Order: sequence, then C-alpha cells, then structure tokens
Amino acid sequence: MRENFWPGGNIGVPAPKWLIVAKYQYRITTSSIRGIRPYFPYLVIGFLAVYVTFVAPAIVALFVNDFLAFIITQAAIPMVQIILFMFFFYLILFPISDTLREMQTNQLEIFLKAPIKPGDVLLGEFLGRMPFYAIVIVVITGTFTALMKPLGFDWAQNAIVIITFVITLLSAIWIGTVIAALLRTRLGKNVRGKDVGRALSIVVALPLIAVMYAILGGGLLQALVDPATGGMVRTILGLLPSSWGAEIFVGFVTNPSNISAVGFETLTRFVGLIAFSAAALWLGTRAANRAYSLELTTFIAPKARKDGLFYKTVRLLGGGGSSGNLLVSVFKDYGRRLENLSWIAYAVVVIALLRIFLSDPYSKPEDPLINLSEIGIPFLTAFVVGTVSRGKETIFLFKKTPSGIGKFVKARLLQGLVVTIPIAAVLIVVSTVSVPQMTLTSALSTTILGLLRTVASVVLVLGLALTIPIFSEGSRERALGPVINLMIVLFATIILSSELPRRGLSFGNMLPNLDRLTSVLYDHLLLTAIFFLVGGALLYIGTRKLSKIE
Amino acid sequence: MQVAVSTEKLSKYYGKGGEIKALDGLDLEVYEGETFGLLGPNGAGKTTTVRLLNCIIKPTNGTAMVNGHDILKEGTEVKRVTGMLAESPGVYEKLSAKEFLEFSGALYDVPRDVLAERIDDLLKLFGLYDRRDYLLEGYSRGMKQKVLIAAALIHDPPILFFDEPTSGLDPSAALIVKDLIKKLADSAGKTIFICSHILPIVEELCDRIGIIHQGKLIALGTVNEIIAQTGRKTLEEAFIAITGGVDERELLAWREHRSAST
Repeated sequence: MRENFWPGGNIGVPAPKWLIVAKYQYRITTSSIRGIRPYFPYLVIGFLAVYVTFVAPAIVALFVNDFLAFIITQAAIPMVQIILFMFFFYLILFPISDTLREMQTNQLEIFLKAPIKPGDVLLGEFLGRMPFYAIVIVVITGTFTALMKPLGFDWAQNAIVIITFVITLLSAIWIGTVIAALLRTRLGKNVRGKDVGRALSIVVALPLIAVMYAILGGGLLQALVDPATGGMVRTILGLLPSSWGAEIFVGFVTNPSNISAVGFETLTRFVGLIAFSAAALWLGTRAANRAYSLELTTFIAPKARKDGLFYKTVRLLGGGGSSGNLLVSVFKDYGRRLENLSWIAYAVVVIALLRIFLSDPYSKPEDPLINLSEIGIPFLTAFVVGTVSRGKETIFLFKKTPSGIGKFVKARLLQGLVVTIPIAAVLIVVSTVSVPQMTLTSALSTTILGLLRTVASVVLVLGLALTIPIFSEGSRERALGPVINLMIVLFATIILSSELPRRGLSFGNMLPNLDRLTSVLYDHLLLTAIFFLVGGALLYIGTRKLSKIE
Repeated sequence: MQVAVSTEKLSKYYGKGGEIKALDGLDLEVYEGETFGLLGPNGAGKTTTVRLLNCIIKPTNGTAMVNGHDILKEGTEVKRVTGMLAESPGVYEKLSAKEFLEFSGALYDVPRDVLAERIDDLLKLFGLYDRRDYLLEGYSRGMKQKVLIAAALIHDPPILFFDEPTSGLDPSAALIVKDLIKKLADSAGKTIFICSHILPIVEELCDRIGIIHQGKLIALGTVNEIIAQTGRKTLEEAFIAITGGVDERELLAWREHRSAST
C-alpha cells in the first residue's frame, strides 16, 4: 500500500480544512460580484464607517429626545428586550429560511467523500458567510452605539454593550446555521422533504411578523409593562440570552458612567451570555456529524391516492372529459406541493394579523368589503395565481399539444378560482358577521361583491403573471412574481379607490341621493369591472406571449 | 494479486425493520490494478455500494477494506485513497471550473505547486482550459461531468470509483473518458471500480464484472465467463437473462384495445 500518492509533491503543512471551506464559501457567496471582489471588503468597511460615523447618529438625532424620555420609563426594559429578541430571532431564522428555500444536498457528497470532519465544514460554511453577517451586526450595533452617545456611558459601558450585542447576534447566527444544516440533512434528501423545507421557509417568519404587528398596533408593549398581563411573557423573555443583553443595557442607562452600581448584575449576565455562546458553539460542532449525512431518513416514495370526491368535483367543474382531466392534473400539481399551500397559509395569516392588530374595528356595513378588497383579496390572489409555472418545461408540455397554451391558461384560471373563492368566502363571512349593524341584505351583497372582486382579481393577477412571466426552479426568484403582482394590484386598488372619487367618478358624487353603503357597493362594482376588463386584456396578451415563448 | 477492495457481507437496509434491502450481503474482491465493473438495472444497489465503499454512508451490517483500510474504523484514510465520481454529483455552480478544482484539491491537501499544474493539465486534457474561468452554472451537463471527473482525479488516488462516468457526455468526450480510464489502469496502475448500465462501456473497459440485482450480487466473472454462464451470445442478452426483461410480444400490447367490440 502506498503511503504518499502525490507524484512529485510534498504535502507539507496543509491549511486547516475549515479555512479552506470558509474561503470557498466566501467565493461562492461573492460570485455575483466577482469583478469587484478584491475591493469588496474595503468598500464595505468604508460604507460601514460612514454609516456608523455619520448616518446612524443622524438617524438617531431624529428621535433622540423621544428615546431619552422613553428609556427611563417602565416600558424601556420590555422594549429593549423585545427589540433584541427580534434581532436574535431574525438572525436565527435568516440562515434557516435561506437554506430551506433552496435545499441542495448534492454538494454534501463533495465533503462526505473527502477527508474532512463535519465540524470543519460547518465552521467553514459559517465563517465563509460571516462577512455578510458582520455587515448586519455592524449596522445593528452601530445604531445602538449612536443611541448610547447621549446617555453618557463611560468607555467600559460602551465596550460591554458593544461586545454584548456582537456576542448575542453571532450566537443567533451560529444557532441558525446549525439548525439550517440539520434541517438540510433531514429534509433535503428527497423531493417531499425539499417541499416541506420550502413550505417552512415561507411560514417560518410569521411569528416575527406577528410580534412586529403586535408592537405596532396591538399594544404589546403596554401589555408587557402591566404586571397583570405581561408577567409570564416577561419571565419567558427573561430566560433568553437576548434579554440578558437588554438588561445590561438598561442597567447602564439608569447608572451612566457608574458601572460599579450594577457591577454584579452586569457580570453575571455577561458571563452567562459568554457561557451560552460557548455552549452553543460546542453543541453546534457536536451536532455537525448529524448535519452532514447522506443517510436516508425515509425510504417512502410519495404515492398518489385514488381520486376522491374532491377531484371528481374539480373534474366536473372543469367541464368533464379531457378538459376536466387537464384541470385535475394542474390542480394536483398545485395542491401536492406544500410550498403552494404554505403561501396560502401565509396570505391568510397576514390578512388576519393585519385585521387583528393594524386596522380599526369594523363599524359600518361597507367596512369589510373595503378592507378585504384593498388588502385581503389582492394578497390571497397574488399568492395563489401570481406565478405562471415553476419552469418553462411545463409550458413546453402544453406548447407541443394542439391549442395547448389556451388549455393551460384556462386550467390555471379555473384552478385559481377553485382555490381562492372558498377562502375568500370564509374571510368575507367571518368579517361581515363581526359588524354589529350588518343586515342580511347587506351581508349578502357584500359577500357577492367580494367574491366578484376575487374573480376579477384572479383574472387580473393571472393576466399580469402571464404578461410578465418569471420562470424559475428557484424559490426566491419564483416568489418575486407574486410579490410584484401583489404590489401592482395593491397600488392599482388604492390609487383607483381614491383617484376615481377625487375626479368625480364615484356613484356617491354622481347620484347624491344614494345612501353610503349603496354608493360604496356601486363604486366597488365599477372597480371590479375595470379589473375584469384590464385582466381580460392582459390574459389575452399573456396567452399570446406564452405561445411565442422559446 | 493484492486485493484493493474487499467486502464482507456488506449490507445496507432502509425502512422500518430494514425491509428495504438496498444492498444485501455483498461479498466481493477487487484486485489492485484491475478495472472492475458493477452492472445492474436502476435501483439495483450500485450507487449504495459506491457510497458505502467511500464512507459516505454507513453499512447496516458487514464491512469492507479499501486499500487496507477498514471503512468502519478508518473513514478518513479510506477517503484519502479513493477518488469518486458520483452518479448525480453536485457542483458549486457559483465557482469557476478552476476554482472548483482548487477547492477539491485543497480538501485533499494537494500541495499548491502540484495542484496548480495538475488543474491546468486536467483542464487541457478535457478541452476546458479556455473556459476555466467561466462559472460552472454556465456549463453544459457534459462539461460539468468532465470537471467532476477531473475533481475525482485531482489528488491522484490509487483507487477510483466512477458511477456512470460517461453519462451526459458527447461521443468525443466519452471516448476521452474511456481512453483515460484505460490509461489509468494500464499505465498508472490504478484500481478502477465502474458502475454503469451502459454495457458496451463496461464490456470494453472492465477486466471483470459483477451483476447486481435487488441488492444482491448475482453474477461475477469476466465478460466471457458471464456470457458462458448464461448460455447466451452477448453480454446484453446475458444481462437480460440474469436480471429479467420484457417479452418481445409485450412491446406493442399497449396498442390493443381489449374492451373494443370489433
């Protein structure tokens, strides 16, 4: 057996494997800016220096008086706790969501067949992405440093707060990286797992959105300050390392330039934070063996069940025969992807959160229709029919059949309607029953008009999606489609809803004898008709465009 | 002849109670300097075998020795002495061919002076030298396959595993790979383990072949021995006889409309 199989070469002292992985991870991450790669670090350092020195103080100066008044109140600790918790949670989620969106396990084989320890791969991947995480950390820490200036901290307090922030945020990113690697291994080895991953990547941010909305409009801070309502949440928050940093910060605020006054509390929390980070690092490298494996965790191939009543109904809705079969096939391909169901769940939860935390209670019968038409229905339809198909291959399947593209568009339209109408109906009914003055007639007309707007919105969004098609197997790129279409429909709804009445094109203006509800319903109907017309035209243009696509 | 790879009841089971036997009690010896071909239909256990022998996955039962190293106890050493081209390999699409080979070489601790020279030589050999700085995302499947073969060779290991080495390659590139494999075996003394279901390639390159079906090794020997064992004329016929095929009468049976009242 040969000991050294390098013809003409000496191994010498090889570079640490984690360093090699980090170097190439950095190259991969910066591949889109290869041209400026040598100057990139200097550019970033320059921008960050400008941010920390000039921009952050200028931003802070805008609200420094309010901040100084606030920071000495009872709400300061929970507020700083919540802010740090959100940064902590966000930085844990960031690598997880990023990994779940595009789970590639093929590259794992490169590492697994090479003489390298899984811990080195994990550390290398983490360090390779570190320059980008560092940018986020510097921006967050730089902003807090600017906030600290008027508080009169001494150098030791400044240093401890900065170190605390950096350690807390780095720990969060490390935890996120470890969890992401474990999830990638667990889910990324089969198609079903990848689908679950993509679905999770969509809904994983919802808790953070809920907390944000609850702070903005849900009175979360007030509830936390109140010992009767906030006791348990504050206790739970207090257990998180992000809160230890918040307590150090607020402790210094009440004792500026007097670190000894809170010396013991600071020391225990700071040491606790270091111990937590060290433990996270150790546990993470221990978990790496599980995080880099190609062992199959399941060998069960997804199996289609016999069509039940639901698909039989869908087939009938599609007109039976071959067009019914076509609709069922398009529907199955849509419904069997958890990613799609996750988008629906995301849209519904965001609509509910907006309603719960950020909009006024419904007081008039027309309120649900206005609110849902402006926000809820565009959200729902954009996430259901906002993309044409995953890749061009699906389109080519239809292109090579007689009148295939027309059949495809018809099937997508029907599929969009079958998905959105029941959900929209539930949203409208739930909203209308919460209005105290709602009569049965008003409720019925609201429901019918709301459903009509849903249909019009599906036509419009699908028309937009066909006219500006985004084909990609990548989740991130594909998500762009619904977001762009959502923005267009939201913008169009808001502009037209306010601009038409301003120009006198409102039934309330034209027919002054009409009561408020009826004029709102007529205006709504007019806008729905415009959506139908524009959507229909876009569907026609989009279908022609799709027919010519190569 | 010295044994380069030997397996002893090597098995890999999946599922509850191990009801899915991806590989079941493989006993095999591959000799140093030999080119060995493992044949089998899709899902027969070829890739599982290669992954086990490269310590990418762990066996459920049994073990194997690769260049004198136990796959259960000396994973790192096994990885150092083997090069592997996977069946559906991943590349870092955002790296150029040159960067990817530098990365692969660094993972195997190839000295820098040797590495630079070797990368240039391999890229020239596969006709990719002029495109060395292009990102792999812009490469065709065949070009990526060439880069991956180069990556498997980058540390010049004594044992090479090629899982479907000519998959996706045009005839001229496939010929280069075939000639390269021949040269590696004849002139460089490498032990080569090829997994494929492209019979002419195996027939042309391999000293001995094994046929694996449903996780079990069901035939072993030279091409002529296998043909003789089955009493057929060609390797293709022997392969079908061993692993099962479709009756000629069934080929157009799908056109018949049995319920038609003609």
